Amino acid sequence: MASQGNSKGEGKILILATESCAYPGADSVGQAHSSYPANTYILRVRAPVLFPESFYFDCFRKGISGIIIMSCGEECPYEGAYHALAKRLDNVYKKMKAMQLDLRRLRLTAICTVCNRAFLNEVKQMNALIQELGPPQLSA
Amino acid sequence: MNDQTEIRQPETEQNETVPATGQAEKEKSATSQTGNGKNESGESEAKDKKQKVGVYICYCGGNISDHVDVEAVRERMEKLPDVAISRTNMFMCSDPGQELIIEDLKNGLVDRVVVASCAPSLHETTFRSAIERAGANPFIYEHANIREQVSWVHHGDPATDKATTLVAAAAAKAGLLKPLEPVRVDAKKHTTVIGGGISGMTTALGIADKGIDVALIEKTSAPGGMLNRLDRLAPTGEYAADIIEKLTRKINAHKRITLHTDCDIVDVTGYVGNFVITIKNNRNTQKGAGSKTSELKNGAIKTGSIAKGTSETELHEAGTTGAGVIETGAIVMATGSHTYIPVPGEFGYGRNKQVITLEELISQLKKVNIPESSSKFSRELFTWNGRKIRSIAMIHCVGSRQIPGIHEPGSSGYLNEYCSRTCCSAMLNASVTIRKAFPGTTVYEMYRDIRTYGRGQEELYNRAAENKVIFMRFEAGAEPEVKTREELESDTSDNLRSPASQAFNGRRSGEPQFPLNVTVQDTLTFGETFDIPVDLVVLATGVEPNDVSSLVKAMKIPVGTDRFLLEVHPKLRPVEFPVAGIFLAGTCQAPMDAGEASNAAGAAAAKAAALLNKGYIELPPFVAEVNEERCTGCGSCVEACIKEGALNMVEIETSRNSGASDEKVKVARVTPAICLGCGACVAVCQDSAIDLNGWALKQYEKMVDAIVADGMAA
Repeated sequence: MASQGNSKGEGKILILATESCAYPGADSVGQAHSSYPANTYILRVRAPVLFPESFYFDCFRKGISGIIIMSCGEECPYEGAYHALAKRLDNVYKKMKAMQLDLRRLRLTAICTVCNRAFLNEVKQMNALIQELGPPQLSA
Repeated sequence: MNDQTEIRQPETEQNETVPATGQAEKEKSATSQTGNGKNESGESEAKDKKQKVGVYICYCGGNISDHVDVEAVRERMEKLPDVAISRTNMFMCSDPGQELIIEDLKNGLVDRVVVASCAPSLHETTFRSAIERAGANPFIYEHANIREQVSWVHHGDPATDKATTLVAAAAAKAGLLKPLEPVRVDAKKHTTVIGGGISGMTTALGIADKGIDVALIEKTSAPGGMLNRLDRLAPTGEYAADIIEKLTRKINAHKRITLHTDCDIVDVTGYVGNFVITIKNNRNTQKGAGSKTSELKNGAIKTGSIAKGTSETELHEAGTTGAGVIETGAIVMATGSHTYIPVPGEFGYGRNKQVITLEELISQLKKVNIPESSSKFSRELFTWNGRKIRSIAMIHCVGSRQIPGIHEPGSSGYLNEYCSRTCCSAMLNASVTIRKAFPGTTVYEMYRDIRTYGRGQEELYNRAAENKVIFMRFEAGAEPEVKTREELESDTSDNLRSPASQAFNGRRSGEPQFPLNVTVQDTLTFGETFDIPVDLVVLATGVEPNDVSSLVKAMKIPVGTDRFLLEVHPKLRPVEFPVAGIFLAGTCQAPMDAGEASNAAGAAAAKAAALLNKGYIELPPFVAEVNEERCTGCGSCVEACIKEGALNMVEIETSRNSGASDEKVKVARVTPAICLGCGACVAVCQDSAIDLNGWALKQYEKMVDAIVADGMAA
């Protein structure tokens, strides 16, 4: 139970998980009955390249404390989409830096359908980080 | 609470996963998603009218309800403004569960549906089908995963609170869902299979047997691919040549298959159902091996036309070189692989003609007859290049399982970190053949790991041991060292140590010296170092994919970091590329043996035939759509699009600015059949004029709003 946490008052983690890789990966963690903090909210996406830079800042502004983009990495089924995403995130990071927003609040990682351990590690690390940092401070 | 709760399934579940097709066919009759901005009704409807979202929460027989207070979630959902009805059921996937949804839809109580249950991969299709049976559009559906991602990983109040939030987020998205129709395109009942190896031939036959015409394109002068270089296949001992002959005969006799040998693909354009492949005939370089070919007479090839009886000789004599065009509905990549070529000097390869690859050895073994039983007194020796071979060192994992920092890249410039899977069995098969036919030849198998993984292949390992093949195991980074006798003698620091090396020195008078010495640190004897004098070294070279970079570029198909082609998902969508209408089979995908390649070919054939069978194709409607009223024609989406041809700028007449109907403006337009539905265009549109149907940015924003809202949890 210690790893459960309560979703209230602990900050929320948004996970954008690709339907081909990371989302089934999260299901695999469930099938293994491996607990992780409950303040994590997984959204199934076709490819995270869909999201504009503003989406991430809006999320932080709305109160999301950390975002993990769980992609297919180099094995993205949409040829060229992963590189476009990585390029966009470079810009997001630059803007986060300018806004003095801790860059670690946004993390791009590759999770496959059976990456249970990697999934749990990512969630654990992000949860520890947002507990340490507290909620993001952005002007509305 | 028991974390290991078993999945409890209702008895009716299996039956209910089958979609009702009759109603579905009726619903799908219209062409849709033209991308011209006409299909705005759904979204407008969503804005103008408050949606009636029905939320259905599953107990999953305790799998969910043991950890989530399902009734509490239902009560909370009832308080949401967009939610018209919230219900629970022991098994939503059961007949009674689905009937709840169907009845509510039929009675007009709901017009959007959310089911909160297990993973969408299990029952999303089930519930979409139920909605179709109710006469509604199946894309007014959203799924909330509260089993794998809630009740199986969280417990108590946090589980109930999180389930509440996820269902509320799904309901928020459902409020913005609009009815969608599958993208329907006419399709040519014709498939092109690229590559005439065992995968390509099997695929072609599988498709043709379903009544669909096939063009089988092979770059060399004869079909067969890698099998042409193999002998007896492990573990059955069947001759590769027999298999090729049988398949070639079937292909030549099949009225729906046209084999093009000596052909290169020049270009691929078009989209699912309507691809155009330009091929170049190189026939003046080589003459074919009796295969039936046709059609390439310096012009367009009519789809599916069969020019039976046109012999290759006739075409050859007619000088049929040049380009031709094939119009085809689907493409199967069966472009195969080749064996790793060692870099000069790797285990002495290229410097000493007594160091050869397994492929070269197998070529020699084709001429060998294996006796049913050999005399135990026989001392017959294997012969290579006229030289009697008294002992052979067979070294495994050459060009496979390479480790960064330990191994050097091969001649391709890449490290092959994968296991080539087939070489262990092939090597053992060769060893057994030699030991049976030439009992006088000693065989040393030097391996890192033996991976005889397939059915009947482990027996090969036992058979090798029974036939006195000597096994030695080395560690990665401590590979056997191959030296010539001269190199060994000049190496003063190297003392001959092992009993085997006594044999090296103690050869019988008059016999020639062993030309090579292999030094190996054998972990099977606790790290003892052996010097093995040998007449021949055989390298089990791994498998590398053939270079198809030009096709990859033309078709925009994904390639893994190991350079093999990449299917969408090995379990959820095997042998499919994300580009609709393009499939893959065989060793272009991964190292596999002939049996596995044939299995993959069967799967690809089934999928291609199923796709083209009706003469038209219905694609998922999850493609980009432009709101032409909002589009300012900046072209940034076209620039960001990762699939050529999916988005184009077009000129339209509009009255949106001046009121005059003849005003011409440029706007972006989607070709739904080509669009991959990745959403790369959505992110760059400053005017929010393009979005992804079914996965819209606005819907995600609403879901985030629901997640951050704190009012729902108790």
